[in-house]
Amino acid sequence: MSELLIKNGVVYDPINGVKGEKKDICIRDGKVVEEVKNPKVIDAEGMVVMPGGVDIHAHIAGGKVNAGRLFRPEDGRRGLRPRTKVCMPESGYSVPNTFATGYRYARMGYTFVMEPAMPPLAARHTHEELIDIPILDNAAIPLIDNNWMTMEYVKSGDIDLLAAYIAWMIRATKGYGVKVVNPGGTEAWAWKKNCDLNDAVPYFDVTPAEIVRALAEANERFEMPHSIHVHGNMLGHPGNYEVTLKTYDLVKGITPYRDRPVMHATHTQFFSYGGTTWRDFESKARAIADYVNANEHVSIDIGSVIIGDTTTMTADGPMEYSLHQITGRKWTNHDVELETGSGITPFLYSGKVSVHTLQWAIGLELALLTKDPWKIALTSDHPNAGPFIGYPILISMLMSKRRRDESAKEMHSVIFDRAELPSIDREYSFYEIAIITRGMTARTLGLHEHGKGHLGVGADGDVAIYDISPEERDAGKIQKAFLNAKYTIKGGEIVVKDGEVVSAPPGRTFFVTPECESGLMDEMTAKLKEMFANYYSVSLANYPVQDAYVPNPYEIRAPWRS
Amino acid sequence: MQTIRLKLKEGVMSGVAKIPVIVDSLTPDKLSGKSEAEIKAVKVWWGNREENTGDLFEVSVEGEAGSAEEVKVVMEGDLTRVKYIGAGMKTGEIVANGDVDMHCGALMEGGKITVKGNADCWAGREMRGGELIIEGDAGANLCAMYRGETTGMTGGKVIVHGNAGECAGQYMAGGEILIKGNADILAGLNMKGGKITIEGDAIMPGADMTGGEILIKGKVEDMIPSFKFVETTTIEGEEYRKYTGDLAMTEKRAKGVLYVK
Repeated sequence: MSELLIKNGVVYDPINGVKGEKKDICIRDGKVVEEVKNPKVIDAEGMVVMPGGVDIHAHIAGGKVNAGRLFRPEDGRRGLRPRTKVCMPESGYSVPNTFATGYRYARMGYTFVMEPAMPPLAARHTHEELIDIPILDNAAIPLIDNNWMTMEYVKSGDIDLLAAYIAWMIRATKGYGVKVVNPGGTEAWAWKKNCDLNDAVPYFDVTPAEIVRALAEANERFEMPHSIHVHGNMLGHPGNYEVTLKTYDLVKGITPYRDRPVMHATHTQFFSYGGTTWRDFESKARAIADYVNANEHVSIDIGSVIIGDTTTMTADGPMEYSLHQITGRKWTNHDVELETGSGITPFLYSGKVSVHTLQWAIGLELALLTKDPWKIALTSDHPNAGPFIGYPILISMLMSKRRRDESAKEMHSVIFDRAELPSIDREYSFYEIAIITRGMTARTLGLHEHGKGHLGVGADGDVAIYDISPEERDAGKIQKAFLNAKYTIKGGEIVVKDGEVVSAPPGRTFFVTPECESGLMDEMTAKLKEMFANYYSVSLANYPVQDAYVPNPYEIRAPWRS
Repeated sequence: MQTIRLKLKEGVMSGVAKIPVIVDSLTPDKLSGKSEAEIKAVKVWWGNREENTGDLFEVSVEGEAGSAEEVKVVMEGDLTRVKYIGAGMKTGEIVANGDVDMHCGALMEGGKITVKGNADCWAGREMRGGELIIEGDAGANLCAMYRGETTGMTGGKVIVHGNAGECAGQYMAGGEILIKGNADILAGLNMKGGKITIEGDAIMPGADMTGGEILIKGKVEDMIPSFKFVETTTIEGEEYRKYTGDLAMTEKRAKGVLYVK
């Protein structure tokens, strides 16, 4: 029996309404308990204590992440750290190796990360990388929207059979939910086209709008912990905010199985653009935030830009091609048969470039204009808007108006004409930071019911202790504290001490098992067999990921809603 | 003036496989002011093991140096698996007596390196300043960029008395390279600044170049077709045809200059 007592810390635990109270945290055998008898004691006097961080959206594992590593040897020469007695060697900045991914998140006080785009056919690869990432608990959401089976069911309008297909796919990939990336557009890309919200997808003759609505309805057929996770159409195009708002409207009125949104709209910064071209490009963060403020069915994460070099990677193949056409930098593209695709290209966000400056402003504006922090999560869509290691910079920006003003002065002057950021005075508190990095993310993913993102009795013993006074407002000190936690505790074990990894246990993989009545499943399987026989290059029997690929499993059952 | 002699011990390269030794810690600026005993204690990598210089090299020090500028490091013995000689050096002089392994003079900022033999691939990689003289041949990627980067050599001067391998001066942005022998395929690939002079022959020089100049005194095989003839001009009493390109990089960016006989 191992016991740990964290004494005297100032605790921020939003899910339990703890707003900076001096409170002791007791952990026994990896779980938070009422009291302990003979514990190892950590004195957190004058420090900030939060639940372990929960990242709702970061591309940390899978085929395209690894392709990014292979494709950018120049990124791999950055961030080098030699092997130690505890740690494997680290390398990489925007596409860090698996080890660096685990250690860096742990140093920042994070203990759970969601890989939000698993191509189903590459699910094994994704799980192999998740196994290799130390410390972090994790999960992965399979891409289901550009899938031929999905589109055929959307066309026939049979939501129950679509739900059966989703259930099969999530089980087959050991996935966590339903991911949507440029619905219809990635399939259209195989025809050298892209899709706007109401364009017909070539051959299948369904629209992205129909796909999104159908998937949201099918997802709610089950008691799914998470809503559909949506990267919409026209990402990164000037004037796309109107498409974004229409996409949000599509799922209005669908009843979620529990008190949560029916759509999580991800990296919203890339979807909040006004103007008609890059010349008259402007921020429409206000319009998006107003919608989110007025509605309960959508949650968002900001996908905020971190100035500097990064590697963009997404299943949104046509978007990556457009980006490559703009920059002229190297680009790679991939097709995943019947299911999805992807593209990768490096990108440099520069504060001297007007468009990048506005993108930077938009991410922060979204966080500052959305009134209720329970509707918004902190992300950089790692590595698309910047590597996750930049989160402490974003936190310091949100907490310090002064820091934002200083940064704005050094950036392109367009920020004063076409963005609202310079006129926003709001500053986040530590409590609100705890919401957007822990409480909101855990609750939106439904993980709060499984011990993540809070410190109530029965929760996982995942704790981050930051060596900073709760009164501190100095942006530099805030950034430093959040970059290297004083302690990170994972499942009751100290994994980081004084900003160094001292232990690197393996993480667990969370996956959902949707339960579908056998009649529906049989009907769907008949069609699935035909699809595999006719089109797939693998056989149906060889497709599902075996249990061996999830050596530390945590299963969440999602019964059919009666 | 101070001379530090480092002679690789015979036993080091006598194994079944020759395990490489990495010596970027043995530059004049890093050894300056150190006693013989201190130099022997400087760490170098031998394969995956960190060793003391004194365990791998016979070390002797002659004379005194007022500053790193006055330090000369002489490397002897079998240097064919000794990598990163003078990598990152800022001042002083290194003489390598024999053939050397990869990355000699990589990221060099100042001072002078003389290789009295051949240098393997990546000599002068991403060099920023100083002088690198290779008395024999140079391998591939002379003065090029690190894989994936888009800037190679930015400054300094390199002379190769023999031939140079493939892709000499790839992504070069500044400085000068003189190749007295022939250059293998694609010298000056993606070059954007600086100057390469090839006294011998070259194959497909200047592909994808957007700046800088390449002068070829010998024959050019497989001249890139996307270069535009400008004029005939006389340099040092000899007549050359001047071309600009590479137009494959779009006309706006095709600012490279090629002089061909």
